[in-house]
Amino acid sequence: MIRLIHLSKQYNSLVAVNDVSLEVFSGEIFGFLGPNGAGKTTTIRMIAGLLKPTSGSIVIDQWDLSQHPVEAKRITGFIPDRPFIYGKLTGREFLRFIGGLYSLPPDQTEERIRQFLDLFNLESWGDELVEGFSHGMKQRLVMASALIHRPRVIIVDEPMVGLDPAGAKLVKRIFKGLCRSGVTIFMSTHTLEIAEEMCDRIGIIQEGKLIAVGTMKELRESSGTEGKKLESIFFKLTGEEEMTEVIEALRF
Amino acid sequence: MYHVLCLVYPKIAGLRNRVRLRNRSALTKLAIAVVLGLLFWSGIFAVFYRVLVYLKGIEGFGDILAAKLLSMVFLTFFSILIFSNIITALSSFFMSEELQLIISSPLQLQDLYLAKFFETIINSSWMVVLFSLPVFLSYGIAYKQALPYYGVLITTMVPFIIICGAIGICIAIGLTLAFPARRVRDVMVLLFLFVGIGLYCLFRFLQPEKLVDPESFRTVIDYFSALQAPTSPFLPSQWATDTIASFLMPGGNDFLFNFLLLWSTALAVMIIETAVFKKIYFAAWSKSQESTSARLTKNRLFTFIVKRLLSRLAPATRALITKDIYCFFRDSGQWSQLFILSAIIVIYLYNFSVLPMEKSPFPTIYLQNIIAFLNLGLAGFTLAAVAVRFAFPAISIEGESFWIIKSSPMQLRSFIWCKFWMNFTFLLMLAESLILCSNYLLRVDGFMLIVSSITIALMTFGITSLSIGCGAVYPRFDVENKAQIPTGFGGLMYMILAVLFIGVIVVLEAGPVYTVLMSRFRGASLTAVQWIQIIASGAAVVVINALVFYLPMRTGIRRLSAFENF
Repeated sequence: MIRLIHLSKQYNSLVAVNDVSLEVFSGEIFGFLGPNGAGKTTTIRMIAGLLKPTSGSIVIDQWDLSQHPVEAKRITGFIPDRPFIYGKLTGREFLRFIGGLYSLPPDQTEERIRQFLDLFNLESWGDELVEGFSHGMKQRLVMASALIHRPRVIIVDEPMVGLDPAGAKLVKRIFKGLCRSGVTIFMSTHTLEIAEEMCDRIGIIQEGKLIAVGTMKELRESSGTEGKKLESIFFKLTGEEEMTEVIEALRF
Repeated sequence: MYHVLCLVYPKIAGLRNRVRLRNRSALTKLAIAVVLGLLFWSGIFAVFYRVLVYLKGIEGFGDILAAKLLSMVFLTFFSILIFSNIITALSSFFMSEELQLIISSPLQLQDLYLAKFFETIINSSWMVVLFSLPVFLSYGIAYKQALPYYGVLITTMVPFIIICGAIGICIAIGLTLAFPARRVRDVMVLLFLFVGIGLYCLFRFLQPEKLVDPESFRTVIDYFSALQAPTSPFLPSQWATDTIASFLMPGGNDFLFNFLLLWSTALAVMIIETAVFKKIYFAAWSKSQESTSARLTKNRLFTFIVKRLLSRLAPATRALITKDIYCFFRDSGQWSQLFILSAIIVIYLYNFSVLPMEKSPFPTIYLQNIIAFLNLGLAGFTLAAVAVRFAFPAISIEGESFWIIKSSPMQLRSFIWCKFWMNFTFLLMLAESLILCSNYLLRVDGFMLIVSSITIALMTFGITSLSIGCGAVYPRFDVENKAQIPTGFGGLMYMILAVLFIGVIVVLEAGPVYTVLMSRFRGASLTAVQWIQIIASGAAVVVINALVFYLPMRTGIRRLSAFENF
């Protein structure tokens, strides 16, 4: 459903993403992990059509993003890590605006607005200005906006940031439900427990290069960490095992 | 003091990094801004110097008039600085993002006050100080002053600026206690607009053109009353004036008194304000965190009109325009500019209604048509000035939400063209209203009415394209206050290009229009050569308009598509 083919992104002399090739299948939740500055957000922003790759290509469904951006974006929903949205619109107006951008019929938009405001517990805030929303509420509104056009691919950058436990639980349930109905989810996260719990396959990126891809079982085998949790596999693969020593040194 | 320096450090380091990391393009922008600034600076100096030299030559009254002028300058600075400090203080004391971090830290409130006080007065005063220098320099040179004058000037300006800052900050904190900070800014913007427009209208309705008409003033006393500026011994601007004037001009004996009055007041207000700040700041800060409610949501008539007007458009275009309309009317920083627009139109048309053409030595018909033609340039300039406030920010206004557009299936080309047509419709209505109404007031004939209407319609394409195109080439998605969008380098470039474009069109049309008018005035028909000249000029006008319509939009689309820094 999503294919990254020799994808690279360079900012002046800095290579943020270096020749990444990857395939994510239909109905799969794919976890994209890596240390800070590894190139996760750059990759995600390229898949969402926000950044132009320096080289390589991205194919969503059968659409090459550089050749057919409109068709590819029409079936994609993007949830960024920081929910910047128009503060002077109400929640309902914002969703109506998104419905318009995706050319949904007005009746259908209104029906889905009701449905999603209810689903994300925002119905009582629907007529309030977004600038008065908390970070978590904005994040839930952005999620509603990413789902309103029933996308077949969802790109999520740090889905749980700013969400309360109930919100996080709700998002997990929604993602799993979407996945069962064939929606593909490409998700970057720092929360390894969430990745382990939710993702069918995981990719680990470090210094712009994809260093491992596979199911939990495959990652354990390739890293030689049989029976260990994702945290140990991650540290082993990214060479950050010395972290425990640092933590010990910081004990007061 | 250590903590004050800690709080100021990020600003200094940020500034240093911005200077250190400037690339070639930033240096070019800086060089252009410096050159334009120097030109403006030199212009102010030249005007003031000429006026002062002239005034010094008037026996008996020269120094009084020069002191009066200085008092008006200080009064103007005083008003600008207080208003600017109020607006800046609202941001630096209440709305700045770093405050969450600072207030949660174990910092003494007086340290916060001092750090923010200096930040506020530096941010709100540097430009006024910069552009006041040619004024004071012209006084220094006209009165043949040496180094001590400049020392006195600096030591006078420092307490003057401190007093203005303290007053501005005090008003900002007081207002925030009464209203939430976001609403205070609305109130202030409105207040400023009403006061500004009121003063401008008052000045304009006094008809300064009468100053050149000797019959308007019967006596010298009348003339002096007309020039009378409001002065008060209780205003710090008057103390600053008296300090400088008594140093500059012979017979001044109040220098030390006024100088000490300024310094003692400056120190006193700072000490008193620090004490008051410690008592009330936290309550004001807490109140400033309240948010506002949504206007227009329940206004059915407004919603109905918007829906009906846009019903035939494509869903994505309709969604974008609806969003822009709601955001515009809910953001006081944007809609309040409509007041400026209304004032510009009223003053603009009023000017035409009071033109004393019957007193002119030239035939009225001739003069009417010449003025109507020159009016094209003026209307074009007015249109360019309106476009810099409304059309130029149209792209940047998306702010940090631009990712929504970029990740949506709406093509950037459609997005930018949608912004173009939205602004074009509004600007065309304004342009044609200005031209038709002013031509009606001038009672020009059909020929000039048609030439003006067609030219301004063509120019509106170019001006809108330039404003949207430049806005797309130089987007400012990170600007918190939308009213600041046109004040950047892109806005400056747009204004230069727009003025150049208007000038070229007016110059190209001047020849043919003059030829036609003269032939009609003399009752002669046009020669073949004249026809060729007219057709060539007309063709050049069409080609330039077409290029200015096409090129900025194309460049804007290309540059915004490649823009990734959001």
